[in-house]
Amino acid sequence: MCSVGGPMDVEYKERVKGKDYKCKDCGEKFKGVGKHPMCPSCQSENVAEE
Amino acid sequence: MKYSPGDGVLLVQGRSSFLLAAPARERFTLFLEDCQGEIVQSVEPDDLVVVSAPEGGPLEPALLLLRLVRDHHVPLIVLPRGHPGSRRLRHVVSVAPRVLLACGIQRGTHPEQQLICSSDELAGTILHGRDGGVELEHVPPDIDIEILRG
Repeated sequence: MCSVGGPMDVEYKERVKGKDYKCKDCGEKFKGVGKHPMCPSCQSENVAEE
Repeated sequence: MKYSPGDGVLLVQGRSSFLLAAPARERFTLFLEDCQGEIVQSVEPDDLVVVSAPEGGPLEPALLLLRLVRDHHVPLIVLPRGHPGSRRLRHVVSVAPRVLLACGIQRGTHPEQQLICSSDELAGTILHGRDGGVELEHVPPDIDIEILRG
């Protein structure tokens, strides 16, 4: 039986693991996931992992 | 089975629940907000925006939610485990290149975008975003699939 919304919940091992990035153009720091991280402030792809 | 909804939306319809899926179509940043902070997800054009309605209901709110995320990039809010708001949610959203439908999870509490809460009748279905289309795997019998245009 489906338990959505009920007290049961399945724990999944694969969690969102964001990496820490810093935008080289505007200096914004953020935690990102995805193939091509983009700065959330200026949309630049010129970012580096910290 | 592969479907190409183009500008439309794929509807996966069970007896008492349904699911909408559409390619993101463009690159954008999507914010995932939870109690621990904010994660910035970079979305690719082939990634899927999926809205699940585990209890069914009218299509229009689910379509609006899909468009809010896909076209207007509204942030996704993740509730903490055991939050009472989990019971109130009639629709949940995932954005990812591959999405698994699972019925053993609490609505709105999983930040993992490869997983979405569904009814038991759709559980186990896997959606892949490929070449601008939607590929489905492990679709249970007696499920109707159509493309909603416009």
